[in-house]
Amino acid sequence: MESSEQRINFLFAGPRPLDVVKINYKKMELLHNLGIDGRLLLAQLINFIILLAVLYKFAYGPVLKMLEERTKKIEKGLKDAEESQKKLAEISEKEAAVLVEARKNAQQIIKKSEESAVKNAEDIVALAKEQSDRLLEQAQRQIEQEKAKIMAEVKAEIAGLVVAATGKIIGEKLDAEKDRELINRSIR
Amino acid sequence: MEISLAPEIIFHIGSFPVTNSLLMTLVLSAIIILASLSLRNKLKLVPKGFQNIFEYVVEAFLDLIDSVTQNREQTRKFFPIVMTIFLFVILSNWIELVPGLGTIGINEEHHGKMILVPFIRSASADLNVTLAIALISVFTAQFMGIAAIGAARYAGKFFVNPLRRPYFIGTFVGILELISEVAKIISFSFRLFGNIFAGEVLLIVMLNLVPYFVPLPFLFLELFVGFVQALVFAMLTLVFLKMAVTAHDH
Repeated sequence: MESSEQRINFLFAGPRPLDVVKINYKKMELLHNLGIDGRLLLAQLINFIILLAVLYKFAYGPVLKMLEERTKKIEKGLKDAEESQKKLAEISEKEAAVLVEARKNAQQIIKKSEESAVKNAEDIVALAKEQSDRLLEQAQRQIEQEKAKIMAEVKAEIAGLVVAATGKIIGEKLDAEKDRELINRSIR
Repeated sequence: MEISLAPEIIFHIGSFPVTNSLLMTLVLSAIIILASLSLRNKLKLVPKGFQNIFEYVVEAFLDLIDSVTQNREQTRKFFPIVMTIFLFVILSNWIELVPGLGTIGINEEHHGKMILVPFIRSASADLNVTLAIALISVFTAQFMGIAAIGAARYAGKFFVNPLRRPYFIGTFVGILELISEVAKIISFSFRLFGNIFAGEVLLIVMLNLVPYFVPLPFLFLELFVGFVQALVFAMLTLVFLKMAVTAHDH
């Protein structure tokens, strides 16, 4: 009874169509004809709920978390990249400024050193001139002194010589006092 | 050739009938569970292989649900049930494409005739399965509706005081809404069952008429039908969920 009610002979409906499509208007009979069985229905319900729970726990949860994490990471990466780009631009700007400053400083230093070198050279020249002047003066003074000394010596010598010569010529010696007086007069 | 509306019973455990569609459901569930377990173990921040495919499907569904709910929080709430219904329904629809449909089975004697009891039968070609998912879909909508807007306001959708505006029209509409909730269960289950059962019959008939090449276009057709029916089931569930959590504005 069970199988003849349950089955519909599709293509070869032939012999007992009424038997097969005999629609029983009792509710349970209708459900039975459609193949609905309370025990099977319950089994399918439980099966689906288990499936849902397992998927929720092992697939959806972790995957959604992963997706979120990745989104966050990518956003952070993009932000970082933008920031570092900005920082790089800032740094290169700073670098250029520093370079300009350094160049200016270097130029200043060169200029200053040039100036000081020129000044030093002038100083040195001046000092040298002063020194040489002084040396020259000293030398002149020394020469003068030497000359005076030599003159004096020469004078004394000449006086002696003259006395000797005169004594020889005159043949006799005047007394010493007269002699000196005479010499001195003749020399002058 | 016998084609039965009801799933064929392969054997009994005690008095519990084990049908071919129940067997298929169990195999399918085992495959899904194993796949999700292996997915969980291999989950990486940089996706690879199967994870890529799954993530692609997940993202597509998230966007789809977002376009209906316009609300990320609701999307997160609806996503598991909608996604599971889609996955389960599409895979159970596609069982009919597995080679051996209607041909591999046990020969049994019924009322003096030899009948082939096939092992393979789409889970969706069994009203028990489609009814079970339809019940879950509709009842989830009721629970989410109550959780979202409160039991009293949710009941107010169906039971309207006839002494207040718009008087009896409101009451009548409320009763109609109540009936439509029941009708949803029937339309859900019979739509899916009808489509897949018809597809299965079509494939078996074609296979028996011309075994070579002729069934091919029908296989592709059934591939498409299986996808569309799964999408329809999931989308309708989503829409009903959204309607349930939206309060009536008077």
